[in-house]
Amino acid sequence: MNRSQFFAILVVIGVLGALVATRIQLGSENDSATSEASPSSQQTDSATNDDTTSDDATSSETSSDDTANNEEAEVESADAPPVLDPKPALANLDGWINTDATSLDDFDGQVRVVEFWTFGCFNCRNRISHTQELYAEFQPQGLEIIGVHAPEFERERDPAAVEQATVDLGVTWPVALDTSKTNFRAWQESRRFWPRVYVLDQNGDVRYDHIGEGDYDGLEETVAYLIENGP
Amino acid sequence: MSISALFGEGFEAALLSCSLVLLVPGAALALAARRAVIPGLAAFGVAVLALSWLRFSDRGGGYPDLLIAAVLALAVIAIAIPFIVTSFAKDAELSSVPAGLLAGAAAAELWRPCVGAEFGVLLNELPDRGVSGFGLMGVYLIGALSPLVVLGAIDHLLPERILDKVETVWVAIGGGILALLAFATAFGLHESLISKLFEWSVDNV
Repeated sequence: MNRSQFFAILVVIGVLGALVATRIQLGSENDSATSEASPSSQQTDSATNDDTTSDDATSSETSSDDTANNEEAEVESADAPPVLDPKPALANLDGWINTDATSLDDFDGQVRVVEFWTFGCFNCRNRISHTQELYAEFQPQGLEIIGVHAPEFERERDPAAVEQATVDLGVTWPVALDTSKTNFRAWQESRRFWPRVYVLDQNGDVRYDHIGEGDYDGLEETVAYLIENGP
Repeated sequence: MSISALFGEGFEAALLSCSLVLLVPGAALALAARRAVIPGLAAFGVAVLALSWLRFSDRGGGYPDLLIAAVLALAVIAIAIPFIVTSFAKDAELSSVPAGLLAGAAAAELWRPCVGAEFGVLLNELPDRGVSGFGLMGVYLIGALSPLVVLGAIDHLLPERILDKVETVWVAIGGGILALLAFATAFGLHESLISKLFEWSVDNV
């Protein structure tokens, strides 16, 4: 490969970089629009995609119904989210923030969103505003959100830093400190990512599993279904 | 899923600390690869793609840290061979390609990505996708590893006389970082090492 080819590669990378920078500039509207239009969880693969298809069919037949009724009907007619592989109890924790709870069992009987995150993670931070909305809407109806903080870097291991970050980032739900990442490894096995979101039903069965940002509608639908219909 | 958005997200990820575990060994390899930086980095990228696809699609991977450390140690040995066996001294590819494959395989095993919306869609679907999943992982990784392409290009553009002067030092630094990473991985300290490098770079760059 000669120098001119390398210059060409650099120019291409520069142009692509400029395009990415433009995308970043355009901001979160595009991100949220893209993510909302992209069903992506395992739950979505096996259930919500089917729901979407059937909902589409239904909506074409009943397109004149008002939106509120449609939304209600969607939740009621949705198939139950599938039961996924069970996960172990949270173990070897270094404490909790924003709660007096000492174990995941303390929230038994509730629908629980368990989110693995770390405060330095860009993509985890991007989820927070959506999680705040979910918490505001469903916490009064019995939802509990448990953030499991599994640090990536040294500075994220300090409990005081985590506590400060929860204040700064507006994380008001209980946070379990998984400093040794015992649970991060045990729950995610060989496919370990930040962020990763699970939903446990009232019986403790896993009903939703999603990697990364996005699929906020799928998460909300699962929570709404479980709260309305039970496990 | 949009391919351009997936590439863009990979490009963004290149700027995030989560990608350091790929970029640090890649950069070390680029330094140590002597006159064969491009083949070395190409081998590194192929190994990262293959191993991360296997692991993220639930088709393999999840190896113990000791094995990953051993693979990194082999990469260091591959780099050192041309300096020990002088008959190989002129054949930089003979060391940089296997070193790239080994370092890339180890880096892929150590990688715990932060995941945006597009990559999230791919990762959720990856176990059920075939070859297309492999290709899309490649698109993301081209973005995520783009700093290494730039590094390779810079190295390639340097005049020969400068390379002659700095080559031995660069090989020592690159090999040393890989050896340090191997040592840290063997003792379960690689995350702390990457963390220190990250904090050092944030404080000093």
